[in-house]
Formats: sequence, C-alpha cells, structure tokens
Amino acid sequence: MNFILNLTAREIRSSWRRLVFFFLCIALGVGSVVALRSLIQNLTAAVGTDARALLTADLEIGSNSDFSPTDLQKIQAAVDASGIADGRNEAITTSSMARPTDPANERVRLVELKGVEPPFPLVGEFILDDGKPFDHRLLENNGALVARILLEELGVKVGDKLKIAEGEFEIRGSFDNEPGGSSGFRLGARVFVQKSAFDDAGITRNSSRVRRRILYRTTDNPTELVRRLREELRGSTITVQSYRETQERLGEQFTRTENYLALAGLLILVLGGVGVWNVSRAFVEQKRKTVAVLKCLGASGGRILSVYVLQILTLGLIGSLFGILLAQLGMFGVRSGFSEQLPENMSYAVTLSTGFQGAVLGVLVSLLFSGLPLMQIRNIKPRLLLRDENNVSIRRLDLKKWLIGALILASLLGLAVWQAGSLLVGAFFLGGLAVTSLVLYLAAVVLTKLVRALRPSRSFSLRQAINSLHRPGNQTRIILLAVGLGAFVVFTVQSLQSNLIREFDFSRNQRLPTLFFIDVQKSQIDGLVDTIKARTGEEPETTPTVRARIAYVNGKPIDYSQTETRQMQGQIGREFAVTYRPGLDINEKVVAGEWWRPEAADVPEVSIQDRMANTLKVVPGDSMTFDISGRLVTVRVANIRQIDLRNTRTAFVFVFKPGVLEDAPQSYAATILSRIGATDRQRLQSDVVTAYPNVQVFDVADIVATVTELVENFVLAITFVGGFVILSGILILIGSVALTKSHRIYENAVLKTLGAERHSLGAILMLEYGLLGLLAGVIGSVFAVALSFAVSYFLLDIEWEFDAVRTLAGIGITTLIVMLVGTAASFDVIFKKPLSILRSQ
Amino acid sequence: MISISNLTKTVRSGTEDLTILSDVSLEIPDGQFVALTGASGSGKSTLLGLLAGLDSPSSGSITIDGDEITTMSEDGLATLRSSKIGFIFQSFHLIPSLTAYENVLIPMEIAGARDAHERAKELLDEVGLANRGHHYPTELSGGEQQRVAIARAFANRPKILLADEPTGNLDSKNGRHIFELMTALHQGNNVTLVLVTHDQELAAKAERQIILKDGKVIADNSGQ
Repeated sequence: MNFILNLTAREIRSSWRRLVFFFLCIALGVGSVVALRSLIQNLTAAVGTDARALLTADLEIGSNSDFSPTDLQKIQAAVDASGIADGRNEAITTSSMARPTDPANERVRLVELKGVEPPFPLVGEFILDDGKPFDHRLLENNGALVARILLEELGVKVGDKLKIAEGEFEIRGSFDNEPGGSSGFRLGARVFVQKSAFDDAGITRNSSRVRRRILYRTTDNPTELVRRLREELRGSTITVQSYRETQERLGEQFTRTENYLALAGLLILVLGGVGVWNVSRAFVEQKRKTVAVLKCLGASGGRILSVYVLQILTLGLIGSLFGILLAQLGMFGVRSGFSEQLPENMSYAVTLSTGFQGAVLGVLVSLLFSGLPLMQIRNIKPRLLLRDENNVSIRRLDLKKWLIGALILASLLGLAVWQAGSLLVGAFFLGGLAVTSLVLYLAAVVLTKLVRALRPSRSFSLRQAINSLHRPGNQTRIILLAVGLGAFVVFTVQSLQSNLIREFDFSRNQRLPTLFFIDVQKSQIDGLVDTIKARTGEEPETTPTVRARIAYVNGKPIDYSQTETRQMQGQIGREFAVTYRPGLDINEKVVAGEWWRPEAADVPEVSIQDRMANTLKVVPGDSMTFDISGRLVTVRVANIRQIDLRNTRTAFVFVFKPGVLEDAPQSYAATILSRIGATDRQRLQSDVVTAYPNVQVFDVADIVATVTELVENFVLAITFVGGFVILSGILILIGSVALTKSHRIYENAVLKTLGAERHSLGAILMLEYGLLGLLAGVIGSVFAVALSFAVSYFLLDIEWEFDAVRTLAGIGITTLIVMLVGTAASFDVIFKKPLSILRSQ
Repeated sequence: MISISNLTKTVRSGTEDLTILSDVSLEIPDGQFVALTGASGSGKSTLLGLLAGLDSPSSGSITIDGDEITTMSEDGLATLRSSKIGFIFQSFHLIPSLTAYENVLIPMEIAGARDAHERAKELLDEVGLANRGHHYPTELSGGEQQRVAIARAFANRPKILLADEPTGNLDSKNGRHIFELMTALHQGNNVTLVLVTHDQELAAKAERQIILKDGKVIADNSGQ
C-alpha cells in the first residue's frame, strides 16, 4: 500500500502542471452544476413551497363570476358535512386604475386590487413595512395598504389619498411581501382594501376581470372535501383546490426546473469529461516507459493501475472542490448583478447537499472518462524497454475493454438520469448529446478531408498548416468536436434569442396600440373618443365587447370533472370578451369554412380562432352555445380564423356575425396607435380615469418593456451558461495544444535545420489554429442554424430569420479565439534551439 | 542456476517472420560472470530480455532455480523480477518524475521492504551519489544516471544481475567506472552477472564469454 500511496503522491507532484487542465475541466463542470442547483434551491426556499402560506388557506374555491345562491348552498353543505373547517373568509381581486387625489399629481397606475375581510390571512402572516402585523382596522373606513413600489410609482406616501374607481382611499401603510407571495405575472402593484369597499366604490360594477374566492382553514386533510365539492359543483366553472395539490405541483415545478438546469451543468461537466479523456489518453501515452520500468522492477499491472486511478481520483476531488469554490464565487456574482430581481430573503450560499453532489459528480466523471485510457496500462509490456514498439499492437477483441466501455456508458446514463430526475429525460439528454457529438465529429472528419484539397497551395505556410492538421497523434478532431460543440450551443442560443426578441419587438407591429382602454360603457364611449381626439388628434378605433361563457359544444356541456378538461378550465371555462362585426380584420384569414355574407342567415353564426377550435375540437358546421348574462345563445360555427398576432390591434377568440349581440349588455374597448410620449400618455390616462373611473387603461409600452426585459434576462441566463460550454471547449483546446507541443517542437527543430525562418514558423502556427477555428466555427454555425430553425418552427412556432451577419461574425470570432489561444499557447516553441531537441529524440 | 533449453524467438517484421533466437540452450551456474557478445542483431539483448521475463519465447523454456519462468503469468514474472533479478539498461530507463533517491527506493517499496530508506541511502553512497539523491534524472550526467540505475538494480539484493550494454551510452572513462562498480558489486554480493556488450575489452574480463550470431550460440568458452 505504501508503494501505491507514495508513487501516487510523487506522480502528482511531478505531473500536476501537465494535468492542471484536467482539474480545470472538472472544476468548470462541477461549478456549473453546483451553482445552478444552489441557485434554484435557494430561490425555492426564499419563495417558499409552503403551499398553505401561498394559498393563504387550506382550501380555496374560486370563480370569475358571482357565486350563485345555489352554489353557495352546495358549498356550505359540503363543508358542514366534512366537519373540518375552522376558519373562513372571502376575497375578491380585480385590476383598476389608481391615481392620487392631489390634482397636481397627474400620475395614474393600473393596480391589482384585493378586497379582504377578517380573519385575514387565514394561514401565514402579513407584516407591514413598519414591522407591525396586519390589522383589519387599517382597512376600515376606506383604508388601503399598498405595495411599497406603488408609493414610488405614484409619488405618494402613507397618509395620502388615492382615487380608485369611484372611491377615495387613504393609504394607511405599505408592505413588501404579501401573504401568498407575488406568484404569477402582475400588470400592477398590489393594493389591499376592505372587501365591502369594492361595491361601495363601484369597482366591480363594470369591471371585466374579477375573481372571487372563498377560503377555508381546515383541521384535517381536505382532500376528501375537495373531491366532494368538485362533484357537487360539476358543470360549473367554479374551481376547487387544496394546498396539498398546490404543494405537489409547486414542488414538482421547482424540482423539474432544478433538474433541467442541472442538465445544462452536466453538459459542461461531460465536456469537461471529454477534456479529461483527452488528457488521460495522452498522459498514459507519455507514461508508457515509466509503466514499463515499473513492471520491469516487479510491480504488477494491478498495482500500477491503482496508482494512476488514485491519481485521477485525487485530481478529480481537487478539481471538484475548486469547482465548488467557483460556484460560490458565481453565486456572489449573481447577488451583485441580479439581487434586485430576486427575493430579498434569498441566500447566496452554496448548499451543502449540492456541494456534496458536485464533488461526487466530479470524481465520478473523472473516473468514468479516464477509465478507458487507463485500461491501456494493462497492454504496456516491459519488453518496450528493449525494443520500441510505438503503438503497434495486435488487433484482437479485447473483451475487458468492451465490458468496461459498456459499464462506463451505463454509468453515464445513470448520472444523466440522476441529474435529470427522470429516466426518459436522462436518456434523451445522453442520447441527444451522443448524436450531436457524433454528427459534429463526422462533420469534422469530412471537413478536414476537404481541407486537404487546399494543400496544392503556393503558400508553404498554408501547406504546412494543413499537414499539421493531419500529423500522426493530431488532436484535430477532438478540438473540432469540443470547440465546435461549444460554438454550436452558443450560436443556437444567440440565434434563438434574436428570433425571440424580434418576435417580441412590438415596435415592428405598426398596428400595436399605444394605449388600450377597456370597460368603457355605451354611455361613455362618445365622450372618451372626444377626450382622446382632443389630446392626440387621433380618432380611436372602438370595438364593442360582450362577456360570454361557453355553455355547450354541439349540445353537450363541458365536463370539468375530467382531469384533462379541468386542466384546460382556465382556457375554456373563463369568461370571454367577444365581439361582432361584418368583416375580417386585416390581420386575419379564414383557414376553414367561409366568412359570412352580409345577408342574414337562418342561424346566428360565429367565427373561432384556430387554436381555440383545436382545443374545443370544433369544425365549421358545429354548434356552440354561449351564456351571455344568463341567456343562452346557440350559434353555428361558420369558419375558423387564423390571427397574425404580430400585426394586430385586437385579437378576439370569438367573433359573432352582426345581428346577434347588438342588444346584449356590452362595453367597449378603444385603442390608439399614435406613438405619444410617456408624459402625454400619463396625462391622457389621468383625464380618462378622472372622467370615467371605471375605465381601465393599459399602457402597452410598459407591458412590452416588462415582457422584453423578462425575455432578455432569460436569454442572458442561457447565453451565460452557453458561454461556459465554450469555455470548456477552449480549455480542451489549450490542453490539446499542450499535449501536441512535443511533436511541434520536434517539427520546428527539423524545419529550422532545413532553413525555415521564425516568421514562417509563426505563420504556420497561426494558419493551423486559424483553420481549426474556422472549421469549428463553420461546424457550430451550420448546426446552430439548423437547430434554431427547427426549434423556432416546430417548437416555439415563431418566425425564423437567417441572420447572415451574426452567423459570419460568430464564425469569425471563433476563428479568432482559437487562433489567438492556440498560437499563444504554442508560441514559445518557435524560439527553442534545434540542436538539443534533435539530440534528445 | 539458470537453465535455457531450446529457446527460440520469432517476431513479425512487416509481412515476414524474423527469427531472432534459434534453438539456444545454455546453463549458467550461480555467481558466474558471463559476457554475451555478438554483432548487432545477433539476439543478445533479446536473450537477456527473455532471461528477465521481459518477453516470452516462441518456443523453448527458461528455468531459474528450478522455476520455469516461461509459463509464468505477467504478475508472476513481476514478482520474480522483484525478488531475484536486477536489470540495467543501456538507456538507463530511470523514471523521470522521481528523484535519484526515489528511483532507488522504488523496487524496495514494490517488495514491501522495511529498511527501504536506509538501504537506498547506503546504495547511493556505494555508487558515490550520496549527495545527489534529491536530483532528478534530467539533472544528472549519463554516468551518474547509470550509477543510479545500478544502485536500483541492487536494491532488492537480487541473485541475478542482467546488464544490457550498460556502458553503451557513456564515454570510455565513465564506462570503465561503471564496469568496475558493477563487477565490485557482483563480487561483493556473489551475484550471477550476465553482461551484454560490444566492448571486447570488457567481455574479456568476464569468466565466460558466449558469442551469438544470427540467433545462435557460435562460441562458448565455458567448456559446455
């Protein structure tokens, strides 16, 4: 044992410089996995998967319309029968416009209003900015509690008054975190008022987006009660959910996100493994004589193998620990760069479990990827010391090697499944990686063969550079695969990014409104149009809207007790804003059926957007029945429409033929296209909301800015991870350069002896790496273009454009990076004196 | 006692079979100093390698102290070399990542010797390199490297010392020193010494000279 330990220590002592890239590759991969997992775990802890606190109850019953007396009776009966409810309250949420009562302050903001009643919250706590807990008395007599950010947005403070709809509310306090957290995307800051104030202030009177909730705290598992309630309320659009389902769903979502991100880290680690394999291969080659001497001195093959396996394990562990350190530094970087976008109470420490996991991963990957190269030690015979056999060996079936190879592959699959948390995903990941690597490798083989065609060039340096790509023991394919894979990932992400950004570049949509007004009553529409004309000079487009729900499809009600249908309840069970008009909008086209002719048909008709038609599985000729303010209206599906959302003012899922809805209760939506400045938009909104408090105004520029920022942050994160992939590729490049250095030194010595000057040798070097970079860049770009097209067209269903400038720039940058790094790493060989080198051969 | 019986070694060279040794039979008693000589390609180094179990013959057998080594496994041969055989190469073949001291230590660590450190110091002292033990092979001259190799070869107190052109890469002065060192150690430890050499002057100093030509023994002045 002494021999193994002593020799391992001595070997590490002498070889660590050559193997530094080994543990850098591992460190980078481990760091990525640990950082990504820790980030998600810490985010999860900060956001909380305590579903009871998120729901602020054990059980929630929700509806987008008033609860009917019958529904309330059914609910109460079921709850009473269960005997487990020990707390109840109701809440109501909607959006509305808020503005300061101070006439000098013209700011207006859309807010997400929540009306609550005691006891609130049923579960969890609500601490205000002054450190005191929520007290319902703060909301009495038209009090309001506002999100801290709203104070800034409106330029108000605690004690000031706000006008919301027709009511005036005094700001009695502010908060940063509300019960239930700020889950989901919100258009406006949260404001709490008393539930009874909603009706007094006329907030819900003409509002279209109201959600009502009945919340219960229970003393026991509410699962059975949920089941009973769903049965009782079947056929209605009332939703019932318990904290347990929410808990499971949230837990699954966070775990899935963590696992998918960990796969990105695993990709970097696997690339690191390729670097490890490469270094191990060359290392074993360099150690052939040492191994032969050790065998000559009496060491068995097994003991020698133990020495090098122990060396790999030690370096793998050191690399992993360094990787954990890098991960922690990365977390500090995230804190300094993104802390504003992340929860205030979030920790930025690497978690113990992920650190341990990272260390295990790093050591396992080191072992797995060095396994096959180390197996070569068995084949090194001591007779090598008597006659140099180079790499000539009898090709025979090495069963052990195949078994070890199969074991390594199975272990890699195990790693992928472990990280992905799913056999299917893990298998897809590994399979996808293998296929991608194989395809890139084949492309590298083909391209290097094609490059040979350039050999008859007049330039000596170019001819030599091309020869160098094919010299025995060359690392060409490995470098092309590693750098090409890195370039492929980054270019794909960049290409997708530009297509996604363009998709969300609303400035290209000339018909996208600047301001959107909804809930405008019939009696208000003329006045609103005049106000807008006076401010902007533009006559706004007005569209009548009627609230309708789907009651029946082809005479049958929608059965929400079915899981699949219940999952779509949000899409199909909601209240729709529908309209009526004689013709198609310019951004629409009929894809099935026919548009109606001006003369009346026997049966009222409706046009459906294609996606909804797919969801409902309806075709032209089918019938649908809508509930419009309690009245059932049956219509024939006349056609199915496709809407170009990139070029639209409004997009209605259902458009009725004129002659059906004119007498139905309706409001209007108005839009203006004029691109007016922020101050003028504020003034216009203030004028409108002052005159018509029930009208809601959506400032589209604000929404677009928020969405664009979200997309850009998302893409930045992916590009950042992609950058690590490229870095792995660069490390492999540097490692490969180091491995072939001795060949290069010898070649240069011979060339110098034959009369080659330093500038020629320098040119050969730069051309060789330039060619490698160019080939890697081309390979990466071609496949990136293909993949980004496939993802855009088949998966994301967005428009795809080939960006030639970006592609060429990518190839150019890859060429430059590889050329600079390769040349810098090899430049010193040009200055070595030839004699001592030739004599040492 | 080393017994070689009908030993033949054939290797594949390109598309042809090349016979390096052809039906060689010899016996070498314990403690004898034997010189193996012959032109380049006569099979001397190959014979030496086979004696050390570094290679396996195409046919025939080699027995050392009654054990037939030609049927031993690789690990068995390694154990044999560790306990009974010391080998010195023309190109020294020191492990470049270890110091001189560590190179001498290695065979004893492989064998699990308890007095490894003391003995390594002793051996380096015997070969005159007591104050160079911490240097790496690249920091030593050719003669110094070969002295380290000799110290290493004697580390486990072998019964048999095989030396393949030990002075081949050295100048004449160093070469003489090395030869004297080897022979002194051979006599002092009663070790069987088989020396492959081109140098007739060195060969003449051996008790017995075996001449090989084209893989066959053409002369053996042992009287056998």
